[in-house]
Amino acid sequence: MDRRNFLRVVGATGALVAISPSTITGRLYASTGLYESYEKVQLLNAQGTPIKLADLKKETNYVFNYPYVSTPTILLDLEDSTAKDVKLKSDDGEEYIWKGGVGKERTVVAYSAICSHQLAHPTPDDSFLQYVQKDKKTMACDHGGVMVCSSHLSSFEAKEGCKNISGPASAPLASVVLEIADDDTIYAVGVLGPDKFHEYFKAFKPEFKKYYEGRREAKKKVKESATMVELTQYTKEIIQY
Amino acid sequence: MKMNRREALKLGALSVAAAATMATVTGCNEGAKPASASKAGKKVCKHKIVVIGAGFGGLTVAKELKKRDSSFDVLVIEKNETFMSCPFSNTYLGKIAGVNLGTLVHDYAQPVEANGYEMLHAEVTSIDRSAKQIHTTKGIVEYEILVMSPGIGYNYKGQFPNWSDEKIKHIQRIAPGALIPGKEHVILERQLVDMEDGNVVITVPSDVKYRCPPAPFERASMIAAYMKKEGIEGKVIILNATNKVSKGAAFKETWKDLYADIVEHIDFATIQDVDPVSKTVTYHLADEMEDKGYKVKTVKYSVLNLIPNNISSPVVEMSGVETTTDGFKKVVMNGCSFQTKTDKDVYAIGDVVAHGIPPSGQTANWTGKQCADEIAHRLHGKAFELEVKKTPVKAGNVCYSMVSDNPEEAIMVTHDFSWDGSLIKGAGHVPKAPSGIYRSSATAKATRDWYGGIMRDLFA
Repeated sequence: MDRRNFLRVVGATGALVAISPSTITGRLYASTGLYESYEKVQLLNAQGTPIKLADLKKETNYVFNYPYVSTPTILLDLEDSTAKDVKLKSDDGEEYIWKGGVGKERTVVAYSAICSHQLAHPTPDDSFLQYVQKDKKTMACDHGGVMVCSSHLSSFEAKEGCKNISGPASAPLASVVLEIADDDTIYAVGVLGPDKFHEYFKAFKPEFKKYYEGRREAKKKVKESATMVELTQYTKEIIQY
Repeated sequence: MKMNRREALKLGALSVAAAATMATVTGCNEGAKPASASKAGKKVCKHKIVVIGAGFGGLTVAKELKKRDSSFDVLVIEKNETFMSCPFSNTYLGKIAGVNLGTLVHDYAQPVEANGYEMLHAEVTSIDRSAKQIHTTKGIVEYEILVMSPGIGYNYKGQFPNWSDEKIKHIQRIAPGALIPGKEHVILERQLVDMEDGNVVITVPSDVKYRCPPAPFERASMIAAYMKKEGIEGKVIILNATNKVSKGAAFKETWKDLYADIVEHIDFATIQDVDPVSKTVTYHLADEMEDKGYKVKTVKYSVLNLIPNNISSPVVEMSGVETTTDGFKKVVMNGCSFQTKTDKDVYAIGDVVAHGIPPSGQTANWTGKQCADEIAHRLHGKAFELEVKKTPVKAGNVCYSMVSDNPEEAIMVTHDFSWDGSLIKGAGHVPKAPSGIYRSSATAKATRDWYGGIMRDLFA
């Protein structure tokens, strides 16, 4: 959503003005209970400069941790326009609408990089879950342009809200909702879809100790800004079949 | 079952005693009163869906049913008090860093709490399908829908008709198959830790179908890695009744590269007898030049892992459903389904199904999910067809084998599942790593990740 739209909605009815901005954002994105707004966070590069849409390389895995300091998100400029208003379903059968990518051509998307099947995710040591370019094929899926989890070989359609399309995963990857400011800088504002944060925090206690000084620290929310780097800088080893 | 008030009153009116045991009549979780539980043959409870076996298949179908509809009344009957995994257990035998018994053992309290099904720890002694009753060591359980996920048994009698019951028991104590988790793996691990120099002999079942086809070969690799680490002088000798080796090219490449002096794989070696006193295995080695077509050979062992032919768990025979005529006696399925052909109210999943899909932990997990879908749709009165009937399922099975330590490396196979008009079939694919060889450290990481993930699926 751009600033103008945001203002228009706020201006539409006086009653809304009293509601906090995040609540309004939440209503705009969510037709179901599957949207949760988090801190509004600006994406910065490793040098601390805000990243603009134009800086993004096409079909390149970028990672930043959001909405918690330990939960990785993968951001992609898919090059091609994404689908619009894709109807998705959590594994509880709850439906939600993924509105599509952001940017001029609607090519930029972000997904919570925690597999909806068994929580595989990029860590500083290795990554089993990442985007596979359109011209590549994997054992998990007969075409590219998908997020692939190479732990149990699930794949997710990147241009359709990361709908689960093959393998044991029975739900999409949750998407991280982005906003683009007038100057083309990028913000993350919330999470749409069946996120796995609760299970994630339960499952990886030793890992949190190793990377984040413990679970308590790992569960802190990211505030104001998040550093985004390419996956190859984020992790030592990319594992993909 | 959620007994309705009228039924409860009826029961209560029948006898005062019945009212006193109401708690155990309506549900037979571990809170069941021992007084009624002690009398096998007495009805203890009735549930809408009863699952036999809390392994990879049973835990999955129970969880997935509750996930699809939390009002489903699901009971799991399991004879063991705690769970122990067979997948990943060879890394325990290989003494890979950070793997211990705790890696393999899980409690059932956690999944019962997390998923909301009930569990009864009892052994099934017979099944009366006409009365829809399961007789167990803790009483009779009634069902409306039964899912059998009982896993395998061993067919020593079929493979060694001349062995007495005493001999079979003795062999099971000194040379366990270690495909059924629990004491067997513990015995084998103890023997390996205790062994001095000498040979470890592993025998491969002669029947085509057995649980986890790569298991003997992964085990050989892991034990070879262990012997190398510990400086134990000796060989790991695999006596293979056929010349089939699951993930064969990948295992053989590893043995050649890493264990050329340790692992010896012998084709067409049919085990005949074991002499526990002299610690000798006698086997027939196929040889067309000989009169009888074979040579009689012997080999001495320090540790013997005799993996006997597999057969469906006795639970399948108790149920009386139609099985295949081969040695394994697989459950004949009702077309592209996990319903049995014999009884529409009885389903089967996991290792015992007659579909052409590999008997692995991951496949059992997959079949559990499919079966839950079938049953949930049926109970909701909706038509349903398995997805695999329409489109092939990519990588329905993925199976990793750890083959070396320092550095840890593994190999893998995937199976795409498809419906061929009579069975669900799996087509295997063993990929090479980018390095050009099969094994890689990335696959070893994937092996650990796979195991952690599927344990979370079943237990968390």
